[in-house]
Amino acid sequence: MYSTLKPNRIALKTWMLLMLYVFTTLNIGCKKLVETDAPTTSISGKNVFSTDATSIAVLTGIYTKISGSSIMAGGYGSEFASIGFLTGLSGDELTLYEGVEDTRLNYYQNRIIARTDNYSFWNVIYPKIYILNSAIEGISDSQSLNNTVKKQLLGEAKFMRAFCYFYLVNLYGNVPLVVNSDYTINLALPRTPKDQVWNQIILDLKDAQNLLSDNYLDITLLKKTTERVRPTKWVATALLARSYLFLRDWKNAELQSSLIINHSDLYHLEGLNEVFKNTSSEAIWQLQPVNLGFNTEDARCYIISDYGPGADQNGAAYISGELLKSFDVKDQRAKNWIDRITYEGFTYYYPYKYKIGTYDEKIVSPAEMNEYQTVFRLAEQYLIKAEALSEQGNLSDAVDNLDVIRNRAGLDRLKITNPGIAITDLRSAILEERRHELFTEWGHRWLDLKRTNTIDKIMSEISPLKGGTWNTNWQLYPVPPEDIRHNQNLIQNPGY
Amino acid sequence: MNLNAFNLGMPFKWLPPKILLIMKLIIVLMISFLMQVSAAGYGQKINIDKNNTSLKEVLENIKKQTGYVFFSKDYDLKQAKISVKLKDADIDEALEACLKGLPLSYKIVDKTVFVQLKEKTFLERVVATLNNTDASGRVVDSENRPLPGASVKVKKTGKGVSTDKDGRFFLRGVEEGAVLVVSFIGYLPKEVSASTNMGNVVLEQSLSKLDEVQVIAYGTTTQRLSTGNVTTIKADVIEKQPVNNPLLALQGRVPGLFIEQATGFAGTGVKVRIQGQNSILKGNDPFYVIDGVPFLSQLTSVRNSFIPDIQGNSTPGGISGNPLSFINPSDIESIDVLKDADATAIYGSRAANGAILITTKKGKSGETKVDLNLQTGIGQVVRKLKVLNTNQYLEMRNEALKNNGILIPRAYESDLNGVWDRTRNVDWQKELIGDNAQYHDLQASVSGGGNGTTFLIGTGYHRETNVFPGDFADTKGSIHVNINSSSTNQRFKIQFTGSYLTDNNKLPPVDLTLSAITLAPNSPEPYNPDGTLNWQPNEAGTTTYSNNPLAPFKKTYQNKTTNLVSNILLSYQFLKGLEFKSSFGFNTLNSDQIILYPTTSFQPEDLISGRGYSSFSTNVNKSWIVEPQLTYNRSISRGQLNLLIGSTVQQSTNNGQAILGSDYVSDLLLNDVRSAPNVTVLGSNNGVYKYNGLYGRLNYNWMNKYILNITARRDGSSNFGPENQFHNFGAIGAAWIFSESNFIKRFFPFLSQGKLRTSYGTTGSDQIGSYQFLNLYESLPTEIPYQGGQGLTSHELNNPYLQWEETRKLQIGLDLGLLMDRVILNVNYNRNRSSNQLIRLPLPIITGAVNIAYNLPVVVQNTGWELTVNSSNISSERFNWTSSFNITIPRNEIVSFHGTELESNNEFYLNQPISVRKVFQFAGVNQNTGLYQFIGSKGNIVPQPSDPDDLTKFINIDPKFYGGFQNHLSYKSFSVDILLQFVKQIGYDWTQTGYTLPGRFNQTPNVPVSILDRWQKPGDRATHQLFSTGGIASSSISAATKSDLMYKDASFVRLKNVAASWVLPEQWRKTLGMKNISLFVQGQNLFTITRYQGLDPESKGFGLPPLRTITIGAKITL
Repeated sequence: MYSTLKPNRIALKTWMLLMLYVFTTLNIGCKKLVETDAPTTSISGKNVFSTDATSIAVLTGIYTKISGSSIMAGGYGSEFASIGFLTGLSGDELTLYEGVEDTRLNYYQNRIIARTDNYSFWNVIYPKIYILNSAIEGISDSQSLNNTVKKQLLGEAKFMRAFCYFYLVNLYGNVPLVVNSDYTINLALPRTPKDQVWNQIILDLKDAQNLLSDNYLDITLLKKTTERVRPTKWVATALLARSYLFLRDWKNAELQSSLIINHSDLYHLEGLNEVFKNTSSEAIWQLQPVNLGFNTEDARCYIISDYGPGADQNGAAYISGELLKSFDVKDQRAKNWIDRITYEGFTYYYPYKYKIGTYDEKIVSPAEMNEYQTVFRLAEQYLIKAEALSEQGNLSDAVDNLDVIRNRAGLDRLKITNPGIAITDLRSAILEERRHELFTEWGHRWLDLKRTNTIDKIMSEISPLKGGTWNTNWQLYPVPPEDIRHNQNLIQNPGY
Repeated sequence: MNLNAFNLGMPFKWLPPKILLIMKLIIVLMISFLMQVSAAGYGQKINIDKNNTSLKEVLENIKKQTGYVFFSKDYDLKQAKISVKLKDADIDEALEACLKGLPLSYKIVDKTVFVQLKEKTFLERVVATLNNTDASGRVVDSENRPLPGASVKVKKTGKGVSTDKDGRFFLRGVEEGAVLVVSFIGYLPKEVSASTNMGNVVLEQSLSKLDEVQVIAYGTTTQRLSTGNVTTIKADVIEKQPVNNPLLALQGRVPGLFIEQATGFAGTGVKVRIQGQNSILKGNDPFYVIDGVPFLSQLTSVRNSFIPDIQGNSTPGGISGNPLSFINPSDIESIDVLKDADATAIYGSRAANGAILITTKKGKSGETKVDLNLQTGIGQVVRKLKVLNTNQYLEMRNEALKNNGILIPRAYESDLNGVWDRTRNVDWQKELIGDNAQYHDLQASVSGGGNGTTFLIGTGYHRETNVFPGDFADTKGSIHVNINSSSTNQRFKIQFTGSYLTDNNKLPPVDLTLSAITLAPNSPEPYNPDGTLNWQPNEAGTTTYSNNPLAPFKKTYQNKTTNLVSNILLSYQFLKGLEFKSSFGFNTLNSDQIILYPTTSFQPEDLISGRGYSSFSTNVNKSWIVEPQLTYNRSISRGQLNLLIGSTVQQSTNNGQAILGSDYVSDLLLNDVRSAPNVTVLGSNNGVYKYNGLYGRLNYNWMNKYILNITARRDGSSNFGPENQFHNFGAIGAAWIFSESNFIKRFFPFLSQGKLRTSYGTTGSDQIGSYQFLNLYESLPTEIPYQGGQGLTSHELNNPYLQWEETRKLQIGLDLGLLMDRVILNVNYNRNRSSNQLIRLPLPIITGAVNIAYNLPVVVQNTGWELTVNSSNISSERFNWTSSFNITIPRNEIVSFHGTELESNNEFYLNQPISVRKVFQFAGVNQNTGLYQFIGSKGNIVPQPSDPDDLTKFINIDPKFYGGFQNHLSYKSFSVDILLQFVKQIGYDWTQTGYTLPGRFNQTPNVPVSILDRWQKPGDRATHQLFSTGGIASSSISAATKSDLMYKDASFVRLKNVAASWVLPEQWRKTLGMKNISLFVQGQNLFTITRYQGLDPESKGFGLPPLRTITIGAKITL
């Protein structure tokens, strides 16, 4: 006979209490019992903007992505940086290697097939706008951030949003203007008229100018640094100058570009082979490379290796004959920013602004790098100012500004060779100068052709040379058809 | 009349005895009530050693020890002198010993013992006949164990009581000789005539299947009284099957339950569907509960393991194998499969896909016994595919070259160009999957205990190798402990159950089955004579044998898993019928996986710069649960009311990480991550799941005729957004046992049981993974941090309104027992509708992401007919034959849609099953071109159909019906069990085209012999297109693989299990000194009848098919 447990009065009372305890605790705090924090592997959207470090990291994440995704990774350009490459193919800057038979060929021959050429800037830019909108909302609401940090971050986010819309509106025309993170509203947004998008860009940039620091800051946003890899007031000003130029608001374009040009203790032109270095004083905003063993992604894309060109290489494109021919023999940029390789009897010229394209296992931190991907630089501001002045009728000051750039390139000053230049000639001289100064950088050429309405004239000659046919519809890229399918209010660009 | 109450000592001779007795009783009851609590404090083990002592003195002594109070009328307790010696006796034993030889009997009412003369006086008999008597007795089972809670009723009046913890009953005011019906769940009812002291009423255990105990959510019932759809499989069935996962023992045995085994690997993935697939995209796994502790339905791991998974599993985070592999089948007492809302609604959110309750073995009181079960055997691949031999293969290759205008074999075509021996002919199936796997299983357990405490300790060892060449094995060791104890008054009970299993799975790093059936028959020898891998370099020294099947075998893979499931159940009965219980469960399942990639496994080309590397991953799942409950039982009118109210708090965490060590200096260091010059974190995961629920059940059984069962639950789960975290579920079930009606009893006496039952209710599913509603920022892996800082990024949109998938289940069933339950028939119809489907709603990317977790009002309907027939065909002393047949006819259909969103994704279609596939229509081989052709959407013949326009035909790969037929035969000490499993279905059969383009040389060039019937010249009528090395023929073959050509009848009838055993004659057993010994032979997956042409119609595909396992063994009880 086994008998081991003898409940007594105390046990009974204990049980009653326990029962009472269990039943009350278990069910009063119902809601609490099923609330969870984010997993340790991530931070919830609720908390991410509650500390300086994590808020900064959200913006850092955006720069990292823009900088890090190589032009070939996951497609033919998976981030902004390939804007220069793909628009270069679409326009008159680049020639594609023989044998490339993928999406690149369709960009090249101006016959993008919306349904199958599924790579699209649209798809990489809008998710960033979502994060930026969340950041603007989260940071604005946050009570726990250091004020200096908060201001700077809001400025960075607004600048980045403007930067995103600048490219969207230029590549696609009317685009849905998404300015908050609520998908229930955004999922049915129609395309917003261009003017409104531009208004938002200007608004954001003006805010950014007020919010952003004068100085380049390090990762804490509290200390100054020499590296120019985070947006500052001057970065916002540079984009604002460019935006006014695109909007033909010549007066403001002049005003904004002058702000940078006059800030000469920070910015001055460098020698041609110093421009794209990470020590460049010409740089207004650069992206720090983030991939082991490499400097910039542009160099990896354009520099043709000793093994010669091949369809499966990174960019698989070289400088077009038209661009090459257009350089003046004296132009030092043709010598310093273009290199060549002769392979199987054919000489290929390729962009050589960035000079280090090969893998070097020693590169494990910025300390071993020489070149940073340059987004905004002083030379463009001179060209903006020249154009703004010229359109306002101030030709002589315009020529002066243009000559700054020409002089550096080893060209004669127009002030000397052609002091009485007419406005139409000056207009095309500036456009040509932009072509030679800014080639394969951030889509300048393609956007210039469009904003000056010269695209149809030029592309109807160029496109057939590339095996395509030109139609004015092709100056806008197609909206991804999935987006149209999931949002009936979106309409495709004509021709697609 | 001489009345004597020695504790009061007050004779009231003038009062009528009855009144006196009542008065005394009242006083005694009052005292004993006051003493109630403290009485429990007395030890109830009686120890007496008295010689020639008066009975009174002995009884006083017992009173001191136990608190029992003694009354005696008509007898002077002082006059009897007794000698008695007792050790640890209970009250009955003690009294029987004391009164032995005396003309006395006793009667215990509560804490009072009445001692009286055995023979009644004449007067008393008259009184008893004139008046009512008080009937008392004790209900026990055949082993003399008390049956507490048994019902004792007066047949005439229906008046009744339940027995107490010792099985005693006391029925007041019953006519002497009136018929009492004594009944208890699982026992045959008995009719006895009432008398004052009825002694033990022995109930025989019911052998009817209807009376077997069924475990249900938070309780038990029987098939006879159940209102729900529950199927129970007992240990005797499980132990007859040599399987390494208890789920596999259910195949073919449970109607409404469809189980598919992914491969023949130990620990393989298992697909389990109860009454079909409810959720389009999310979890479709049932809710597993082991001894009250919820168990994982899927394994999560940081990196996908290569243990083959089965299509249809759905838990995010990667799947490797099945968690139930880490439960020792031999520890299981019963598996109950709960299907309808009535049975599952009390599990609320977690049981939309049904529930599988696993109850492990418990200790039984009785003499301590030792059970051993030893078995050993082999496993092998049953079927061999007929593939081309070298002559046929070279003929195919040469013809392909000719068809493509290639004159001489190209440099890489080693099979033809002389680099490989063209005369070599290898049967790779024999070489690679032809070995016998070894199977060993040893189980031992010790169990026993007395009325108060019982225990069981079991341990198991299991080792399985496989059919591949090489030294691979899955070894498991396990221990199982169960301890039950209760206080003497049975009010307080405690039960502990713990199972621990450790598994060391050294698997081959790849499944060689695909290589075995597709390697060129003249492929070179895998090893060089010196034991190194043969890469068969050509003249230039370049590897030509990069698909050497045994190259991956130089890698080593090891997965160590431990699993602990433990549970403590405490209960206390406050008042009669009112009990408080609480269970505390804990489960932890940890796995460590190491894969080593030594340089010896590298191709020579990779060796120049190659260094060995190794990956280490760990995964820890922990879960605890607390479930307090209150139950209340009482009779109301002529029915029995059962109430349950309870609450659940559960929390599970999952943590994992995977790291890669690379550039090791030496292969010898691969096991040590610290020796790796480079260490990379491949991934990490972390998840917390919290769950809280409140539930209740009301069950009312009116005279075993009408039964009503209402369940309800309110659930909260951390998987959902703050806006919709809680949801209510409920069900109502009712049963009418019409066979209890007098009409049926009179006119249909052959109908021993007839029950009509129905239930309707809702259940839910939260199997969507954690954090789907949260907006999460994760760190962005960067090689060189931007400004030295790590970035954060967000990939997904969050939906705070995310909520439960809900399944509404309607169930109608008819249960019949004929001819004294010799034939039992169950028919069940179900219609389950799942709505609020958790799907990712596609979004335009302008919102920031391409989709969002969302509840779409898509409705998936599962209907099904289930039929089970159990019959006892022959039942005699020597020969027994029972059969059991079950069949399920399911139908799955999407019955309602939200817009056209899903349709445009080409995945799901209205009025079609979820798993439907839309394919091209195959139209044979074009006689002129020799290429496959198809019927386009306009009915015209097209050589190249376009996707999706020409996808016109629906293929339903769900089973049309499935089931099993089992027979049990026994003759004297021999018995045989045979189970046939059958499935009617259509399945993907790759042998219809060959694995790749027949004629092309690549890693997998060989094809089945049937492909030889090919087109050779214009005008040929052939089944297969021309042999080719590429070009247009490869486009047409890829279209063919997306056509109805590939979907063939994959129905099968499988001899799933045969188990024969022989119990050794008693004399032999005695000689050997064993209580019981039987020898057995068991076989699993013995053979399969099918028209399917691939290796196996269940696993389909190219994976290792389920093995045929044959074992012999012995079952011994010491």
